[in-house]
Amino acid sequence: MLRIGVQTKNVVDDEHPEEGFAMLKRAGFSCADFSLNGYLLNTDIYQAALNRFFDASVQELEQFFAPHKNAAKAAEITINQMHMPYPVYVPDGQRELNDYLWKEVAPKSMAVCAFLKCPYIVIHGFKMMKFLGSEEEEWKRTEAFIDSIAPLAKEMGITICIENLYGNLAGHLVEGPGCDAKKAAERIDRINDRYHAQILGFCFDTGHANLVGLDFEKFIMILNDRLKVLHIHDNDGIGDLHQIPFAFTKTRENKSSTDWEGFIRGLKNIAFQGILSFETAPALTSFPSVMKQDVLAFLARIGIYFAGEIETGRH
Amino acid sequence: MKISCAPRGSVASKHPRQGISDIAEAGFAYIMLDMSLVCPPERLEKTGNVCYGETEGREKQGSQGTIYEAIRPMLEQCEIQHLQCNLARAPYLQRDTKRRNLGSTLKQLALESIAICGQAKCKTIIVQPLLMGKAGRDIRERNRAYYLELAVLAKQENVQILLENQCGDINGHLVRGICSDGTQAAEWIDELNETVGEERFGFCLDVGACNLSGQDMYELATVLGDRVKAVLLCDSYVGSDGAMLPFTCVRQGQSQTDWLSLIRGLREIRFDGELIMDLRDTAAAFSPILRPGLLKMAKSVAEYFEWQIGIEKQLRKNSSRVLFGAGNMCRNYMKCYGEKYPPLFICDNNRGVWETRFCGVPVKQPETLKNLPEDCAVIICNIYYREIEMQLRQMGLKNPIEFFNDEYMPTFYFDRLEARD
Repeated sequence: MLRIGVQTKNVVDDEHPEEGFAMLKRAGFSCADFSLNGYLLNTDIYQAALNRFFDASVQELEQFFAPHKNAAKAAEITINQMHMPYPVYVPDGQRELNDYLWKEVAPKSMAVCAFLKCPYIVIHGFKMMKFLGSEEEEWKRTEAFIDSIAPLAKEMGITICIENLYGNLAGHLVEGPGCDAKKAAERIDRINDRYHAQILGFCFDTGHANLVGLDFEKFIMILNDRLKVLHIHDNDGIGDLHQIPFAFTKTRENKSSTDWEGFIRGLKNIAFQGILSFETAPALTSFPSVMKQDVLAFLARIGIYFAGEIETGRH
Repeated sequence: MKISCAPRGSVASKHPRQGISDIAEAGFAYIMLDMSLVCPPERLEKTGNVCYGETEGREKQGSQGTIYEAIRPMLEQCEIQHLQCNLARAPYLQRDTKRRNLGSTLKQLALESIAICGQAKCKTIIVQPLLMGKAGRDIRERNRAYYLELAVLAKQENVQILLENQCGDINGHLVRGICSDGTQAAEWIDELNETVGEERFGFCLDVGACNLSGQDMYELATVLGDRVKAVLLCDSYVGSDGAMLPFTCVRQGQSQTDWLSLIRGLREIRFDGELIMDLRDTAAAFSPILRPGLLKMAKSVAEYFEWQIGIEKQLRKNSSRVLFGAGNMCRNYMKCYGEKYPPLFICDNNRGVWETRFCGVPVKQPETLKNLPEDCAVIICNIYYREIEMQLRQMGLKNPIEFFNDEYMPTFYFDRLEARD
């Protein structure tokens, strides 16, 4: 059966990582999406209020994350994907800030990824279309960043995954980088050909896709085997809420307003073999903390449902 | 570019005189011949049959009437008011329609609408796909025969059929539907045109449908290129289907619609087709007493879009130019247009910058403008347009004065200049 994962944010802490990973195991997960982005928050990056976590040397970072690694292993949880802190470039930011993100945070994130034996790291493409005039120009900047860490990725055996994102117009979440599946597929193939390795893959984010009305099935099918990891979560089509799938309805019939059927069909059609990974940390804080284990178990149950539907009839 | 007004919200189908007059008085020269005014989607949904008029419970059915009979009062008033109809819209179903059996009815309505276009010398008509659902090869194939059948009459009547980007509906969540993928829509149009052997099909870009799913309109427009013959311009609130006056759907003083990507895209493809102002919900919500003023505003907004889309036309108008204002707007001018349309010099009221250079161009005092050649334009690069224009006229300047605006530039700097005294 397809394996089920969830992000570590709001479950695994630095004090007692073994408790968090054990909780994931008890809930029915066998994989985890390590929330490295939680160590340098995007809100802080945008405000240039860095916490200097990544000032530490690679050795110091490895030492810091050793308990997490051991705890995951003890709980038989595979860290299959992680999220690099984002953004890695702030358009109107100081040069020192951007240099730090690009030259310190990014390569050290790769090192942590390798240390945790995690095969996939998700990055955010640059959001610069307003300044540069077109998505093509924007992508050139993202590609330059990918090129800067690609040799490391190749050496470490890590696949960098770009994700479909959104932009924000006074609260209206609109199409952002990575929302054109055809372009993404062409770029992934071109870069992988250039490096003769699986340097680049794709992370399909269901919540972001829902916000900008993408056709899940078509998107997934265009990506095909370039689709390496998932961020499964739900929203109301308006805000990026990262909630439990099937939670939102908009009509009297009370059917889900997110195209989960298309999601299942898409993954089924491409015979997806990756991890069904949830990115639903807010659901863990919105429920009372005493229910955390139950919420996680419910998420895992939804994962099992997805797996069953995707694998039905598969030979 | 032809600027037209969509009549819904402003014109009553049975008593069109006042609404048509308001539109003409507002300065519009064109009006969209919207057949849904007399055969509205909600009525089609309710009755499942052809019906005309507005009065609840008094619908005419089937052969009892024709669209032409119902729309004739509007056409007559348009003639009286010298309003031209260059673009029409065939009746259509609601986005969340439950009707699956209206294929032949819709075809009949579309054919009748095309025939009316011929009579009214209306050159283009928007016809939505007959079978809705998810965009894909299957839907395309199933609509192919429909469009090709319409094309026969369209050719006779010399009318071009426009496909339009649609919304899909997933249990109330409006998502991207048929023709919202620019590449697929372009393929579809090309295939139809190839089959009929002429440019019988084109595209109408519906800003409202794009906005509902936050679609990048630059990408859509540039992929479709010169297939875009019309743009349906409207604003809408996040997640809700509606057609409001552009720039009215705002939050905390900022527009929630991606006008930047639309203007950039239409500029890029040198759009010169029909720009349709659709403000049906705003107009319907306004008191009829206020509507004439609202429509004048709508006309101004449409002209603003025309001006923004064709901003280079204005820069080309004069053989030479001077920029007024040595600030961020001037810097943006120099970044995007400085090479193609170089200014003789820059003028500024701030004596602290006189005899310096800004973006490599000399900065001079306003008095210098008195020595300009007659046809040299002064382009104001400062948001205090009217104040500066008044200053220049009071100086006795007779040269053309133009406004520049950097809200929708092709590109932007990543940083802003420090404020100066």
